[in-house]
Amino acid sequence: MENKEKKGNAFTNNPIVKAVGAQKIVVLLAVILLYVVFFVMSSSFRQYTTLVSLLDSSYYIGFMAIGVTFCLITGGVDLSIGTGMICYALMGAFCIVKLGMPVGVGMLICVVAGIIFGFFNGFLVAILNLPPFIATLCTMMITRGLGSIFTGGLSIAWPSSSTPQGWFRTIFKINTSGVLLPIGIVFLVLAVVIMSLVLNKTRPGRYIIAIGSNKEALRLSGVNVVKWQWLAYVISGFFTGLAAIAYAGVLSSSVAPGSGAGLELNAIGAAIIGGTSMNGGSGTVVGTLLGVLIMSLLNIGLPNIGLQANWQQIITGLVLILAISLDVFKNKKLARA
Amino acid sequence: MKKKVLSVLLSVTMVAAMVIGCGNTATETKTDDAATTEEKTEAPAEEKTEDTEKTDAAATGDMSFEIVSKGFQHQYWQAVLKGAENKAKELGVKINFVGPNTESDIADQVQMLNSAINNSPAGIGLAALDTEACMDGITAAQSAGIPIVGFDSGVPGAPDGAIVATVATDNYAAGELAAENLYPAIKDIIASATAPVRVGVLSQDATSESVGNRGLGFIDKLASLVVADGKTATVEGNDKFVTDSKCEKTDGANVVIEVAVPAQVDASLSKTDCETLLNKADTIAIYGSNQHSGEAMVSANETLQKFGSGEGKVIGVAFDSGEVIKSAVANGTFLGAITQAPVAMGEALIQTLADAAAGKTVSDQDTGCQWYTAENMESEEIAQNLYD
Amino acid sequence: MGEVILTMKGIDKSFPGVHALDHVDLEIRKGEVHALMGENGAGKSTLMKVLTGIYSMDEGSITYEGKQVTFTNPREAQAAGIVIVHQELNMMNHLTVAQNIFIGREMMSGKLINDSKMNKEAIKLFQKLNIDINPNDKMGDLTVGKQQMCEIAKAISHEAKVIIFDEPSAALTETEIEELFKIIRDLRDQGLGIVYISHRMDEIKVITDRVTVMRDGGYVGTLITKDSTKDDIINMMVGRVIYEDPKTESNVAPDAPVVLKVEHLNAGKMVRDVSFELHKGEILGFSGLMGAGRTETARALFGADPKDGGDIYINGTKVDIKTPMDAVKAGIGYLSEDRKRFGIVVAKTVAENSTMANLDNFTSGLFINKKKENQIAQRYVEELKTKTPTVDTEVVNLSGGNQQKVVIAKWLVRNCDILIFDEPTRGIDVGAKSEIYHLMNELVAEGKSIIMISSEMTEVLRMSDRIVVMCEGKKTGEIDIAEATQENIMHAATLRD
Repeated sequence: MENKEKKGNAFTNNPIVKAVGAQKIVVLLAVILLYVVFFVMSSSFRQYTTLVSLLDSSYYIGFMAIGVTFCLITGGVDLSIGTGMICYALMGAFCIVKLGMPVGVGMLICVVAGIIFGFFNGFLVAILNLPPFIATLCTMMITRGLGSIFTGGLSIAWPSSSTPQGWFRTIFKINTSGVLLPIGIVFLVLAVVIMSLVLNKTRPGRYIIAIGSNKEALRLSGVNVVKWQWLAYVISGFFTGLAAIAYAGVLSSSVAPGSGAGLELNAIGAAIIGGTSMNGGSGTVVGTLLGVLIMSLLNIGLPNIGLQANWQQIITGLVLILAISLDVFKNKKLARA
Repeated sequence: MKKKVLSVLLSVTMVAAMVIGCGNTATETKTDDAATTEEKTEAPAEEKTEDTEKTDAAATGDMSFEIVSKGFQHQYWQAVLKGAENKAKELGVKINFVGPNTESDIADQVQMLNSAINNSPAGIGLAALDTEACMDGITAAQSAGIPIVGFDSGVPGAPDGAIVATVATDNYAAGELAAENLYPAIKDIIASATAPVRVGVLSQDATSESVGNRGLGFIDKLASLVVADGKTATVEGNDKFVTDSKCEKTDGANVVIEVAVPAQVDASLSKTDCETLLNKADTIAIYGSNQHSGEAMVSANETLQKFGSGEGKVIGVAFDSGEVIKSAVANGTFLGAITQAPVAMGEALIQTLADAAAGKTVSDQDTGCQWYTAENMESEEIAQNLYD
Repeated sequence: MGEVILTMKGIDKSFPGVHALDHVDLEIRKGEVHALMGENGAGKSTLMKVLTGIYSMDEGSITYEGKQVTFTNPREAQAAGIVIVHQELNMMNHLTVAQNIFIGREMMSGKLINDSKMNKEAIKLFQKLNIDINPNDKMGDLTVGKQQMCEIAKAISHEAKVIIFDEPSAALTETEIEELFKIIRDLRDQGLGIVYISHRMDEIKVITDRVTVMRDGGYVGTLITKDSTKDDIINMMVGRVIYEDPKTESNVAPDAPVVLKVEHLNAGKMVRDVSFELHKGEILGFSGLMGAGRTETARALFGADPKDGGDIYINGTKVDIKTPMDAVKAGIGYLSEDRKRFGIVVAKTVAENSTMANLDNFTSGLFINKKKENQIAQRYVEELKTKTPTVDTEVVNLSGGNQQKVVIAKWLVRNCDILIFDEPTRGIDVGAKSEIYHLMNELVAEGKSIIMISSEMTEVLRMSDRIVVMCEGKKTGEIDIAEATQENIMHAATLRD
């Protein structure tokens, strides 16, 4: 069709829908719908503490997802975030528990390690021009092994909330006279707001979107594409470091070396559900947050309605297919326009 | 040209990644400084006191054993390693203790078993993740005349004669021990309950023999105790446990034993499973059948604050130790936990291997388990088997 | 011309919000080449998509070989003998020529593919077309022209009775076009009906027998080609005479300063020892056949591809251009031949594209100053007469000519003094073309300097003040516009070693 004017239906032409984006509205509705369904179906889901648990699992998936959104928007991907998160959490735990460093230092180590590996991924992708999938797959393996080596294969727990060193857990949950305040959500929302601004209102964000849209065109516009593509991976690494802190903060379990593979898919899935295109060039941080909520709702809600574990996975898979189909459908429409 | 350089670089990176990523967490006795520093000071003293055995050691001086474990993720394995190292030092034998990164890496373990056989040791200690997968290696060892001693969960379902002996905790009995110690605490609640009550079982997976038996032992014992007191019990949840348990399934039973198994070994998934159980109003107790599940219970309690004793509290029973579970037992969050005797297991393993290599007849050994609570965990008998 | 083979009557097709085809008629006879003309957006492609079953029609009828037909998909149309040779070639570069031709209907011996049989069949097809291609070559190794021949071979292998050529000459060199025409004439003489879609007026006159003109989704009329003039056809297409005459003399003063001097530029096989000068206010045409190395020269000059050697002077000062960043800093802007791939960051708004090369000037503190960005974009939309509803419209929704204007705006916002236009009017309809020409003339009048790479002889003769001709990576001629003729340019363009 050579007609250039895009027509939509009443829904997509609604000014509010246009301003917010149709996909985000759909995902928001899905979040609400899922919440209502679980709310009606399960009495245990109705409890306040379940909401707290829901947010618990949103923090680390959320931080990973915010970071990886930037890689996805450049048209790349970062598969190393799952094992990376565990690796950095292990490094932090080792330094605190075995080397006796203060918890603050351990947290800093998580973030610094994340940035270093983000830098490494960026080097592989932007400088060596390795395909992001392959490059970060390698880093995934490297971080997986490195975590084990760092602790001598031991699983180590971060200090528990009953110890003085456990203060860092109050970053995510404060217990005020028996009522738990999930204040971690404040930091997650803050991260979403800041990164939304970065993505939409600053030069780095503009360039990161443009790389995913048409890297060669951006290069021919005289922009340093290497630098900005690199940055996307550093952002991803940085947020994986934050995710490591969140992971340690909400789970009392000892961090197990070698684990974490598969967690990246939760985060990548969340970003895609939130409307980030696998082909790059489009995506929003707010959408990613909504996608994270969907993933968390499924993770927490399905067991609550008594669904067996394997069914939970199947349903999560189906939801992802739905989300990716939307992306593919959207691209097809774009290609035809 | 540039492309060539890149592809070489890529392959190097890939190979490096493979080696590091999938590689073994080999912990050779001599290089493992972190784990052995503490004992180094004690070592000379031990050597002196055990003069009698030194002659024995001389005979076995050149022997080396390959130990293929399930990995080092849990401190439990470090304790087994410690016991094995102690004994090896004592007997003057060499051991090479290896294990895959995680307990899901079956293929890696098979690889390790194969290279262990290639080293032609005097004997192999094996804690198989998957017997079927290890079968080729076991046959190869048999034909090479290398005796295999199973340990921990052993090599369940191996053909007769392939494994000369198994040194292990009787996991089923350990599960029973947990039920026996839990029951007195919930007996009155069950007796006075007007509606059915629920006891949760958190299992890391449904495939591992050891974790499975710990769950089944608990379920069967608890059900029989309930029935003995004139009430009825049933099992629901994970299909494998429901099918395998001896407990008869009845509708409207007084005690419902619900088994939750996550789709994959993931701290967050197990935490959610535990929270779901804790959120059910009729839940009176939860049993976590290994360190992973026990720690997930602690995680869940951070939010729900339901474990403990007294009115409206849920009784928690865990398995194994580690800093997290130990402090939960010590501060009364959990009623108690079962600990195996990993140090003793490690020692028994090496002793059995040495015996087998020397041509002596060896037999299976239950290395035992213990129930520990805030009261008795300081005692020497218990404390030696608790680890951080 | 023989009997009528295909009649489309009163074809009507609407998409939500747009009347794409408004009762269009088309009649194709055996043994004729029938041009289908119209500006971009006139509905030619839509009509062909209705014919081959990609779109369904709302009204109207199609009569083919005396029977009323409706195809529901291209496969059915193909089976009946109606085949399209697409503008973008649908070839799998990693398969061989024969494998491509017989894709989807491989010849088998038992369960296995019989490649040698397909190769033999392919050779038969090529013999029929009188062309020499090895069926065992990888498709990706062939030139665009050869690939198109394969596409035609594939079409006739379907026992085609009607072949539709959709802008077949867009990517071909002059000689390749000659070969193509020979094949088309052969096919015509064998009694096939040929539909020929093209923007190139010269070709229409040479190759076609009749012309059907469409405008804005409607049918305008059908002419006998030899009885009508170019202007007749163009008038039907746009309703006005727009062709300008070739330039007869340079507009550049003889003493105009040299703004860009390139000496001994080398880059790979395609740029060999190229030297030239560009004066202030000059349009320097780069002519040559496809593959002459013109685009490669521009890209090397711009730093888009690595250079092997050579010096570049801007206003007399030597500059070191290693990346496009360096080139832009030096005041050079490059408008790529392939706008979709290299020129426009698609799916982004007009405003965002306008500032893409110069975003530094539109940030206040950390953030992009959206207001300032919109203002400058709006200014250039007005100056360049870009047809867009707002500056927030996504460029992908604009027509080719307007997209080109957005790319020009990008470099004007960056204040580049030297602009390289690589095939500035490729794929742009006639009306928009003359606007781009007008714009280029304005730019040089303001003191900018332009290098224009073009494969259209008329464009080169009409726009350039001076013409550099290249052949096989070397500069083979430099002709002042006053002396330039099609003949002497073509002579230089074929000066091989």
